[in-house]
Amino acid sequence: MTPQEKIQQEIERTLQSLDSIKRAEANPFLFTRIKARMNRKANGWEEGIFSFVSKPVIAIGILLLVMAVNGWALWDGSGSGENGITDPTSSFSELANEYNIVASVNNYDYENMTNE
Amino acid sequence: MINETELIDRLKQGDETAFKTIVEQWKDMVYNTILGIVQNDTEAEDLAQDVFIKVFEKVGTFKGDSKFSTWLYRIATTTALDHLRSKKRKKRFGFLQSLTGSGGDEKEQIPDFHHPGVNLDNKERAAVLFKAIDALPESQKAAYTLHKLEGLSYRDVSEVLNTTVSAVESLMSRANQNLRKQLEEYYNKHYR
Repeated sequence: MTPQEKIQQEIERTLQSLDSIKRAEANPFLFTRIKARMNRKANGWEEGIFSFVSKPVIAIGILLLVMAVNGWALWDGSGSGENGITDPTSSFSELANEYNIVASVNNYDYENMTNE
Repeated sequence: MINETELIDRLKQGDETAFKTIVEQWKDMVYNTILGIVQNDTEAEDLAQDVFIKVFEKVGTFKGDSKFSTWLYRIATTTALDHLRSKKRKKRFGFLQSLTGSGGDEKEQIPDFHHPGVNLDNKERAAVLFKAIDALPESQKAAYTLHKLEGLSYRDVSEVLNTTVSAVESLMSRANQNLRKQLEEYYNKHYR
C-alpha cells in the first residue's frame, strides 16, 4: 500500500469515526441550575446595577469622571476673578444691587455721617 | 404520562412541573447538539441552561406549526452559533489588543476535543475530525452536527435550519468536501 493510499484509508476511517457515536449526557442537576439562574435573574434590577457598577472598568470610569468634574469646578472657580483672584466685595455689591439695598448700607457709613 | 401538547400548554401558563418535565426530557438532546457545535463541555452546559431559559420565556411564541423538538433544536443551534460568533469577535479583539500591547493574553484553545459518546477505538480519529468540523463555515457545521451527532434526517435538518432538503444536501456535500480537504492536509503533515 502506498503512503497516499494509507492516507486515503485513514481519511475514510476518520470520517466514519462518528458513525457509532452516542449522545452526550447533560448534567443530571441541569434543572436545579436553571432554576437557580432564573431566581437570580428574578432578583431584580438592583443586583444587576450593583454588579454593573462593581465592575472594575466601570468603577474606575465613574471615579475618573467625578475627579474630572471636581477638577473642572476648581479650575473654573479660580479663573473667574481678575488675575485669578476673586474680589470678595464684588459678589456682595451684586447682591446689594439686586435687592436694592445700596442706600440703606450707606446709612451705616457712620464715620462720614453728618447731622442733617 | 402527559402528552406533548398538554405539556406545552401547561408551560405557557408558567407551570414549573411542566418545565421540569421538558428539561428532563430534552436536556441530553439540547446539550449534545450544543456540545457538537461549541466543542467545550463547560460552555455547552451554560448554553444548554440559556436555551431552556429562552424556552420558558418564549414558549408563548411557539405556535405548534413545527414539532416542539424542531423548535428546540432551532433555539439550541442558534444559541450555539451566536456563542461561537461572539467568541470569534472577542478573539479578534484580543488579537488587536496583543498588537497594541494592551492585553490579549487569551491563548489559542487546545484543539483536541473529546466527545464523551465516542468509543475508545475511535477517540483519536474523532478528535481529528472534530478539529476539522470546527473549521467549517457555520451553516455546514450546524447541518453536519445535526445529521451526524443527533442522527437527524436531511428533512429534519432542513426544518431546523429553516431551509430546503436540497439546500441541506448541498451543505452536507460541501461539508464533506471541506472535511476531506482538511484531513488530507492534516494526515500529509502528521502521517509520514
